[in-house]
Amino acid sequence: MSSTSSSRALVLSLYKKLLREGSKFPAYNFRMYALRRTKDAFKENKTLTDQNQIKACIEEARENLEMLQRQVIIGNLYRTDKLIIEK
Amino acid sequence: MLANVTRCALARGIQSIRLLPVRAMSITTRNSSENQQKFVTSKIAALQLPQIRNYSAKEPLTLKFIEERITLVLNLYDKIDPEKLKRDSHFMKDLGLDSLDHVEIIMAIEDEFGFEIPDMDAERLYTVKDIVRYIGDKEDIYE
Repeated sequence: MSSTSSSRALVLSLYKKLLREGSKFPAYNFRMYALRRTKDAFKENKTLTDQNQIKACIEEARENLEMLQRQVIIGNLYRTDKLIIEK
Repeated sequence: MLANVTRCALARGIQSIRLLPVRAMSITTRNSSENQQKFVTSKIAALQLPQIRNYSAKEPLTLKFIEERITLVLNLYDKIDPEKLKRDSHFMKDLGLDSLDHVEIIMAIEDEFGFEIPDMDAERLYTVKDIVRYIGDKEDIYE
């Protein structure tokens, strides 16, 4: 029981971190994709009950969070003008 | 001695300020119509204004105003039906949201009020009433 409640808090905090990081992308398309992909993936796997699968998904989310953090930095190095729909 | 030095520095400062408009003017005279030139000179006039700094604080909040802003944010969230949303309707029990939606709502509230809500506190915020009270506590508003 304690492990499920702790992984629940962990998953929610990962979800928040991923959304926060994804919304930092300067490029509109990357930003929208990151947000959409995060939301879809979490919603798709929200019914998982198998502990091992949950662990694997958490690990995947962690790796993706690190990847997002790197890509946001790179995206900031190569900024372009905002798209017309953003103005 | 000191006065000389300051005068010298002042003169240098003024020179460096003037450098920019002069260069811009020479470019406009070379390749543009009179209208454009007027536009550019007005821009330069704007640039030459003394630097003005405005200081301001956040607008004062009241509990009513906080509640209005929160309801606006929640109404704009696409999974909440604005007609069903009441002051004490529970996000999960009454509005049928899940914990992922709850995280998104808390993030929207954070963006609206400009401070971060720790996960520990977010766990207790499930109704509009709770959020109003929480933000009121954080911003020291009690009336």
